[in-house]
Order: sequence, then structure tokens, then C-alpha cells
Amino acid sequence: MAALSGSEEGSLGFDELVRASKVEPDQARRGLTWLSSKGLVRTTETTTARLEPASRIPPELALFERAASSPDPQTMRQARQAFSSDAEFSAALGRARSLGWVTVASSAEGPALRVSDSEGPADLKGVLDAVSAGTTGSLDGAGREMLEDLKRRGIVNEVRTTSSSVALTGSGRAALSASQEGNGLDRMTPEILASGAWKGQKLRPIDVASKGATFYPGRRHPVRDFIREVKEAYVSMGFTELDGGSVHPAFWNFDALFIPQDHPGREMQDTFYIEGMTERTLVRKGVVDRVASTHEGGWLTGSRGWGRPWRVEEARRLLLRPHNTVLTVRSLSESGNEEKRVFAVSKVYRNENLDYKHLHEFHQMDGIMVGKGLNVRHLMGFLSEFYKKLGMRDVKLWPTYFPYTEPSMQVMGYSDAVKDWVELGGAGVFRPEVTRPLGVTVPVLAWGPGIERLMLLKYGLDDLRELYGNDLTWLRGRAEHAGR
Amino acid sequence: MPVVKLELGRFAAMVGSDRKTIVEALPFVGLDIEETARAYVRVEYSPNRPDLGSDFGIAAALKGVLGKETGLAKVGARPSGIKVFVDRSVSRLRPFIACATASGLELDDEDVRQIISLQEDLHNGLGRRRRLAAIGLHDLRAVVPDLRYGTAAGSLRFTPLGGAREASLKEILGSKEGRAYFQGAGGRGVPLVTDSAGTVLSVPPIINGAATAISSKTRAVLVEVTGPEERAVDEVLAIMSTTLAMAGGKIGSVEIVGAKGRTTPDLTPLKVPIDLALIRQVLGVGLSEREVSDSLRRSRLGVEGGSALVPRHRIDILHPVDLAEEVALGYGFQRFTPVYPPSESPGAFNEFQGFLDDASTVMAGEGMIEMMTYELTDEKSLYSSFSRPSRNRISVQNPKSAEHSVLRDSLIPSLLSALTSNAHNDYPQRVYEVGRVYRRGAAGVEESWNLGCLVAHSQAGYSEARMFLDALCRTLVGKEVSAEEAPHWALAPGRSASVGVGGQKAGYLGEVKAEALAAFGLGVPVAAFELDLSSIYKQLK
Repeated sequence: MAALSGSEEGSLGFDELVRASKVEPDQARRGLTWLSSKGLVRTTETTTARLEPASRIPPELALFERAASSPDPQTMRQARQAFSSDAEFSAALGRARSLGWVTVASSAEGPALRVSDSEGPADLKGVLDAVSAGTTGSLDGAGREMLEDLKRRGIVNEVRTTSSSVALTGSGRAALSASQEGNGLDRMTPEILASGAWKGQKLRPIDVASKGATFYPGRRHPVRDFIREVKEAYVSMGFTELDGGSVHPAFWNFDALFIPQDHPGREMQDTFYIEGMTERTLVRKGVVDRVASTHEGGWLTGSRGWGRPWRVEEARRLLLRPHNTVLTVRSLSESGNEEKRVFAVSKVYRNENLDYKHLHEFHQMDGIMVGKGLNVRHLMGFLSEFYKKLGMRDVKLWPTYFPYTEPSMQVMGYSDAVKDWVELGGAGVFRPEVTRPLGVTVPVLAWGPGIERLMLLKYGLDDLRELYGNDLTWLRGRAEHAGR
Repeated sequence: MPVVKLELGRFAAMVGSDRKTIVEALPFVGLDIEETARAYVRVEYSPNRPDLGSDFGIAAALKGVLGKETGLAKVGARPSGIKVFVDRSVSRLRPFIACATASGLELDDEDVRQIISLQEDLHNGLGRRRRLAAIGLHDLRAVVPDLRYGTAAGSLRFTPLGGAREASLKEILGSKEGRAYFQGAGGRGVPLVTDSAGTVLSVPPIINGAATAISSKTRAVLVEVTGPEERAVDEVLAIMSTTLAMAGGKIGSVEIVGAKGRTTPDLTPLKVPIDLALIRQVLGVGLSEREVSDSLRRSRLGVEGGSALVPRHRIDILHPVDLAEEVALGYGFQRFTPVYPPSESPGAFNEFQGFLDDASTVMAGEGMIEMMTYELTDEKSLYSSFSRPSRNRISVQNPKSAEHSVLRDSLIPSLLSALTSNAHNDYPQRVYEVGRVYRRGAAGVEESWNLGCLVAHSQAGYSEARMFLDALCRTLVGKEVSAEEAPHWALAPGRSASVGVGGQKAGYLGEVKAEALAAFGLGVPVAAFELDLSSIYKQLK
């Protein structure tokens, strides 16, 4: 505003204002918006039209000059060379002939150009000079017509510019002089501090109520932060985190979990199999043979099995894991009866069409507890404790079915956010058909719920795709602790 | 999951209880309520309980849970006197057939609807789209015993179920059903069930004949099930005949004559030993023998000596442990009290995952926004947008969407796509992702974790990206970055460098080439770097 004081009598252009006030154009624009909303400045916009010098020489003039450039008549072929196309050349020729500047006559080398009026283009040249000099205002009637013609043909262009100028209003002047009383310092500087010149000086008061400029801090993704919360809940309950690949053979994804080879869930409609690649090293020996025999007839597990032949080719197919139980069961196959608690929070993949409640890539937080004497009640106890840490007030379990657990349960949690019970995921006790072939004889409690559902509740979203939409407005703008 | 519609008036009468009690009890037999209306409830049942595929089956289970009727429902089969002669020609085609009759039926329209709906669910589930089991339901009065199970002659003509006129075998095979279900590849023939009058009962697994179709006027039914494996065929027949018995039918057995001769259906319950210790151990409740037997009976199983008698339609009971769930259902899931076993040892984060998390924290500290893009992407954004060959791509089979058909080997393309969709947001845009990438390696698919970073604004360039990369490596692993000019498919020549961290090749850095920016529709310059965090981490160890 102080920059305007120098022009109290008149007004200042926006660019001059930016130069004088030494602020960024953006800041200046915001400042002016604020000042005019308070009635302290008045902004006036003016539009001016300006002619740009001719972008190219008019073709008829080019032709004329070509013809006039040599004492000998130019053949048509020679003259044509000055033009980029036949169309342009014939248009130029037509114009120059009808203006009477040139004629076409025959010569020894064929048709040739001859200058018929050497002073013909003088008027046109005069107009072009006036455009360059910015003096078109003094053109006579014929000159103006010629200028209009040049504009129509796009040879001369008119540029319109809008500029704004700003002036202080009466109340602006009053406010400014009030603020300048005492003539305070604009800002403290190292020089002023070093010289001690600050003594007896005041800082000029500023409008402390005005808004700050927009700033976006760097941020981790909300899904990453939520996963961290889940991991912390697990670790605080004595669980060790597992890490593993996304691509595993069907054997560990399905067969080891006693999912029959013709189970509909194994079909391509639901699962991402990798094109043209298989796990060739997988052979029917050791654990693979025990799993195969369990499928076929129960092996030594006491089960009837599926009563159907088992094919190693099917088990070799590679796929993106459709659940993280593949990680816990592989870890179980290594540790056997050893008492342990392990978990994995990572991506799973399903061949789904994306919609508000389906994603083809999402996260699950699988865990298992291995140990003598563990039972369904411990599973229930763990799940209520765990979900309390993740903000669920209450947890209940329904009976349901999964091929690899017995009993199998559906976990429901009470969400204060939606004031209702929501489905959280599955849980159960691994079947002997799963554990025995891995050499495990103690109970294994297992669960594998998703996390995205909980995140929707947390952020008040209703479309899963929003979590992975990477919309900067949301990623920059969401509050870490929005409250309820 | 398959669904059964329960007409509440009819169903309450079947169960002998009021609607409220019924609706509340449904979840406790493992049914999910999908829709509740004034007159009906639609419930989903688990694929391992095909016996719950009609309101008859559900009513029997509910009567058990509510204590109205417990224990095994006695279903016996008396000889019907009907025989099926099995021709040798089906032995390599679809060798097994099993039949039963149900007489004395008085079906109404809803009964017929329930039975047909069960038949469809069995076809799709246990029957694996009729491959393992195809079911024919016939009006017994329209059938002239005995039956023959053989193969069809090329000249066969008959009116198929739902058809208005006779059709030739060729027409049948070319029809929608024929194309969907015919499995006789190799030209070994088409299975055919006929009666002694030559009437076509069915051409399994494609279609049944119209002449023997059932309706609410049907008083006696013949069930015929065919398939390549005995177990599935018998299980499906057990479920169909038990359900018909629940609908009021008297079950008759049929003699199968041929190489695999026997009498069907076999409805003798299977004996599964009651392992009390196992049940107590799994459930964590010191149930008495009496409580266990009572609970099993409420789950509609029989108890005899130390064994449970499992009816043949309960195909889900494979192992003595399955009785534990039956006990839990009979005892009541809601009666188990949760116990949390505290841990005796501390837990631990995975070190590498922690490293990735730290990398993300450092990038956020540099003022960047973290993005999470999908690992499955499309050929255009991954390859053609950069004019690089796609011969090393890793594709998935039959993706539902072409947008998610190829596994990414770099984070940069999907981050560029994300910038495109953010073109309306304020610049500068500085974004990063820590994510998994895939490459074709000697040992199959090789996975690693990368960090990708893009800096986009009107002044963005190499040196800014370099500054952020240097800061990341110093802060995360205390190492200096070295860069030497090297071409890269995403980057502009002359502004493209291969990057070493602590002397080892770890990624690349540079300005994204204009051709790629144009392909992604981006109107600002973009500088980028991508690091292989897996190999940097390995180097630390």
C-alpha cells in the first residue's frame, strides 16, 4: 500500500506496482484483492489495441520486388522460386497483375514477368511503414482501407492488451497516513541489528489478521500411516512381522491351504495368474507329496480328503497372492510346532473390476498364533483386543466357512463412526489337513481381514477407489486429526 | 455365494416358530442375511453346505438350533424296482450315474421353485458347472422303466426342456446350452438317458427332455445324476433325495446295472468318531459328553456309541475336527467367552519394511507428497508412451480390465499418470512412491522395492532432482550419490544419468523426455529419479 502513496494524485499500473513494492505478482494480486474488499484501493481496467509490425511481406509486393530486382525479365519459373507453393505464387501474381504492377509477356525462355508500373507499390509500402512506426492514425481513407485489407489477410495483426491500474481511495489515503505515523521500520535486517540502529525505532505495524500464503507440507500416504498403526498394534501384542513376495506358486496359495484344485476361487476369473510362467522346481516330494495325498484321500490327517486326483501342474502355476495367508503358512512350514505369533500387512490381488467397493489390489493384515492349548476362545480374545487398538468398540463373531479353517468365523466390529456393525474379515483355526502335512500338530489360530474398510471409516469416505486416487487435493489437504 | 429365498409365511410354518425368532437364528447356522423384506428374507449360504440350498434344508437346520426337532432325520430308501442299464460306451465319457425316486409328493409352485433352484445351485457349485454332476428331474409317471444310459446316435431327435419343437442332436450341441456345457471333446459321443419306450430323459450334462418335465402336478419324481466321479454324483443325489424326502416324498432306490453296478441312493449315515479331547481343545470349553451329544443332535447329526452319524447330504464333514464346529453351532457361538492370552515374548517389526518406511519419512521431510499407485498397469503407459519395447513384460492371464494387465517394472510411468490426473492442482508438484516392481529374471519373476520421485513445475530440472536425491541418500544411508551420463527410456538424452549409491549402481536420474510428457498430456517439465531400495538395503547388510 505504501507503494501507492507516491502516486496519490494519479494511479499506478499493476506492473509498476509490483516493481515498486518488491513483492511477487501473486502476493501483490492477493494484497490488492484484500485492499479493494476493504474499500482502500480502486482498480481500473483499460484495454488498448496495438498493431504489430507486419509478420511477413505481402506476396504481391514480394513478387513485384522479385520482378524489379533484375534488369532482365524474370521467367515465371524463376519468379516461382520465391514462393513456398504454387497456390501462393498464383495468388500473388493475380493481385500484382490486377493492380497493374506487372504484366506477363513471352520471351525466349518462355513466359516472363515485366514491371509495368515501377511506382505502383508506393502506397502499400507507405501503409506498412506507418504500421512499423505506430503512426497509422494519420493514414488517409485509401490508406485505412489498405490497412484493413492487410489485417483481414493476417499480414498485420492487432493485439489487444488489458492492463489494470490501481489508485488509493480517500479512506485508503487516510489509513496509509495513519499507519505511517512514527515512520517505523519496514522490517528488521541483520544490518540494523549489527549497527544498533534499531534503538529508539519501532517496526511499522502490519495487518496481523491477514491470511498467510498457501504452503503444502510433505506427507506420507495415509494408507502407509494406517499400516504403521496396525503393525504397532501387532508388535505391542508380541507379534513378529513377516515380509515376502507377491508372486507364489498355486501350491502355497491354495493347495497347502487345502483348497481343492477345482475350487471356483482358483479360477482365472478371480485370480491373477502370471502369463507363461510356472514354478518348475516344484515336484511331488516331501511336503508337496504330503499335501497332495491329503487332497486325494486325507493322508494321515484323519480326513476323507477331496477324493479326487491331484495334479502337480496345477500347483506349479504362478500367481499374485490373493491373500496373505500364503505368507503365514509358508512361515509355519519352516517353524513347525514352535510357539510363535507372526503377521503380515501387505497387498493382495484379485481379478476384479474396480468399483466403489472392489479393488483389484488392496491390503490384508493376516496373522497366526501357534501354540499348545490355543483355542477358539483365545482367537476371540485376541480379535477383540486387537480391534480395540484399532478403534472398534466391540467385536462379535459369526460362524462362516473357509476351506482351510475349522471352525471358521466372520468377524464383525461395532464402528462408532457409522454407529453400526461392519464386516471386518475372516478368522478360524487351521484344519488338520493344513497343519499336519507341514509337520505341525499344535493348534494354529489364523485370521486375515482387510484394512481398507477400516480406512474408509476413519476418513469418512464411501468409495474405496478414493484411497488410491492419488488426488493431491486430498493428499495435501486432509487433516491428520480431524476429530469426529 | 448362492442365495435362497425364504417366503416367511411358508417358512415359519415349516419351522413351527415365529418370524422374529427365525430371522434372529439364521446367522447361527452360518447363513448371511442378504435382504429382508416384509414377506421374505434372502439368505446366502456357504458353498460347503449345499444341503442348505432350499428352504427345506434350512428349516431342518433351524429346527435343530431352536430345539424343535433334533438328531438325525431318518430317511430310508425302499427298492423302487427300477433299473438303469449302463452301456459300456459311457465308461470313458461320463461313467457314473446314480438315480432315486420320490413318490407320494404333493408339490405346490413354491416347492417346485425351491427344488429347481437347489438343482441349479448344485449344478454350479458342487457340480462345477455340471462338469462333475448334472441333474435330471423327471415326472416318474411319464417314464416307462427300465432306463438305459448310453450314447446318442447322430440321428437322434427330441424336444428339449423349454423347447417348442423337436430338435436334432446337432441343433442341441450348437445351442447356447450345448456350447456352454458339452464336454465330449474328441468326438467320443454324447451321453444319453432314455426309457424303455425310447423317450429321451436327458442328454447330460447339456439338457433334459421336455417329455418328462416336472410341475406342481407331479406326484412322483425320478432323479438322475451323471458325472465323471462317483463321489460328487453320489453327494449330489444324496442332497436331492434328502430334500425331496423333506418335501414329503418317499424315497425309492434304483438298481444300476453295468460295469459299476450298485444300488442308489446310499443314504446310510457315515460314522465319524467323536474326539472329545479334540473338540474340547479346539473350543476351549470343558464340555461334558452329554453336552457334546446334545449339541451334535441340535446340528441334526445322530449320536451312536462314540460316533456321530453324519447324513450323506452333509458333505462338509470331512474330518473329526468338523464336529467341533457342529458342537459350537449347537452349543451357541454367543456362549463362548473370549480369553486373551498375553504374549510372553516381545514382538518385532520387519527390518526391511522399517527401512522402506524410513525412506518414505525422509521423502516427506523433503516436502514431497507420497502416492500409492497400482502395481498392475497397462501397456500403453508402461511401454508405448516411452516408445520402448514391451517384449520383457510380465502379463497376467485374462485380466478383467486392460488397464490392469501388466506388472510394472518401474514406478515412474504410474507416477506420471498420477500427475496427469492432478493437472488442475497447484504446482510445483513434488511426489514420490515406495512400491514393488517386477522383472523377468533367471529364476522367474524377480521382485524388488523401488523409490520413485517426480518434480513437476515450470522450472523443474535435473539439478533440483539431484538435490533431493543427494539429500535422500545422505539422510537415509549416509552415502554420496555419483551420477554418470547414460541413456534411459524415460529420460531426455543429455539429461539422463545412471546413479550409483556408495559406489554401486542403484537407479537413474534425469529429465523426463518431452515425447513421454506429451504422451501423458503433461504441460510442465518433469525431473525424476528412481532407486532400487532392495539393493541399497542389501548393500548395508
